[in-house]
Amino acid sequence: MNAVARLRQWHRPADGPLRVLAASGQLGYGIPEPALRRGMARAPHFVGCDMGSIDPGPYYLGAGEMAAPAEMVYRDLDLVLCAALDAGVPLVIGSAGTAGARPHLEAVVAVLRRIADARSLRFRLVTVSSDIAAERVVGAIDAGQLVPIGAIDMPSAQQVHGCSHIVGQCGTDTLMQALALGADVVLAGRACDTAIFAALPVMLGYPMGLALHMAKIIECTSLCCQPGGRDAMLAELTMEAFTLESMNPDAHATPASVAAHALYEQADPLSVEEPEGVLLLDEAQYEALDAHRTRVRGARFVARDKPSVKVEGASLVGQRVVLLAGVADPGFLDRLPQALGLVEQRVRALVPGDWAVYPHIYGQGAVRPLAEGTLRAGEAGLVLEFIAPQVALARTAAGVFKQNLLHYGYPGRKSTAGNLAFAFTPSEVDAHAAYRFVLYHVMQDVSTIDLFALNAIDVDGQHVH
Amino acid sequence: MTTPTSPGPGGVRLADLAQVIRSKNAGPTQLTIDIFLNDAQAYAQASQSPAMSCAAVARRYGMDPAQVQRHLIPGIHAIKFVLPRQVVAGSPGDGDVYGAQQHVPMLEVRL
Repeated sequence: MNAVARLRQWHRPADGPLRVLAASGQLGYGIPEPALRRGMARAPHFVGCDMGSIDPGPYYLGAGEMAAPAEMVYRDLDLVLCAALDAGVPLVIGSAGTAGARPHLEAVVAVLRRIADARSLRFRLVTVSSDIAAERVVGAIDAGQLVPIGAIDMPSAQQVHGCSHIVGQCGTDTLMQALALGADVVLAGRACDTAIFAALPVMLGYPMGLALHMAKIIECTSLCCQPGGRDAMLAELTMEAFTLESMNPDAHATPASVAAHALYEQADPLSVEEPEGVLLLDEAQYEALDAHRTRVRGARFVARDKPSVKVEGASLVGQRVVLLAGVADPGFLDRLPQALGLVEQRVRALVPGDWAVYPHIYGQGAVRPLAEGTLRAGEAGLVLEFIAPQVALARTAAGVFKQNLLHYGYPGRKSTAGNLAFAFTPSEVDAHAAYRFVLYHVMQDVSTIDLFALNAIDVDGQHVH
Repeated sequence: MTTPTSPGPGGVRLADLAQVIRSKNAGPTQLTIDIFLNDAQAYAQASQSPAMSCAAVARRYGMDPAQVQRHLIPGIHAIKFVLPRQVVAGSPGDGDVYGAQQHVPMLEVRL
């Protein structure tokens, strides 16, 4: 019998609290092992891990690559897979491989198979595919059912089709369908962070509002504690409340630290949009059980008639080459922005083609706009980003730009031998391709049943030995 | 915790009354700025200050006041501002993909 089926057969909400262990909020960056071991010693009913986010930017979704280092992904997956299988409890992982599109999901399944082979493990894996066909998004635009989240343009049909990957954030309902297939491990492509931890409790009969609120807090593990950290976090859920406890004895979940966490990366701290409805936290109460633990109650959930799904899509902008240099001459520092504009004109005359340059002048407002009087610093760091359809063109533009900027002459110039300091040469470096988000929208009134494909796989690492 | 409010030239610095002043993306199109004041008195002073109005914060970030939302969370002495990002996170020209260094203009606020 698989782990989900066992849990459904043996656990009733009246039996006592459901123990949920959040093992990682960013799987692949090194799960702290002592806290994970302490968490497993508490006999959790299931283990959850978040593996992705939109925060690292459009590259990972666009290119289909993981942000976390492959070796550390293997190490972390090995830890949680063995821990969950040894304990005979379900493992739920969401937002596979950073961005949760097909290549990310496939890459993580491949790692799970490698671990299974290396350790002779057998388990039933259910995957959730989060990829959404471009036609489906275009259909939503035509039906007036695609709404931007914040300041992003409504894309044309052509731009939607130009996305290399489009994913939807699957929610609690979808993960419940995946769990219902019977699994030891559920691996979702792009998923709401909450769904990873809320789906099993809701399936077992716990209230949606409470389960989602618990999930919302523990998906970042011990970040909700004082001091915040990355150690495993345990939640004990009943029908009325949940208790939060870090598996690091020095990280304390206090009412203030837990309530403050509701603000993190969240536009509205009291109302959280989920595919199935809205989680309302205005009546949530936080109460210290002792110096280390906090009990939370009072979250409400208001379902909507038809689900809404957040969609994310990224498309290729071009190939990127960066030029790195330093500037220290005060006269050149004063006129750096103008110099860059004039050099760009010269280079355009020499290097035709569809290339673009994006200057980042560190020390002179690259991070945020600086007031006029504060601009002049002792030196500035120059990162010039060149983006072109072909890498060769980006390299050519960067190389020609470099030499023209190095020897750019201006009235009153004293340093006639060169304007730039290079820490190394070649100072122009091939960077990764440039992508941009085309989609960060809500698709309204969708049927999630046919949006997210489920697939059950019996992984057998014993046959190879 | 809070030092008596004796506004020097230009008033008390927000940075002296707050234990946390941070910024981060709330998705790739929005920036959220969280300010956790030291205590109830500091919270009252900050939340009532004209320097902490949507209009004043919008001016600091070079935006229209209508683009800035403010949330007051008195229970934890917190004030949150939500602003649109000028560039969608990670698009060419962005200088702060995570939005984690956009809190700095708030460090200069005087109440």
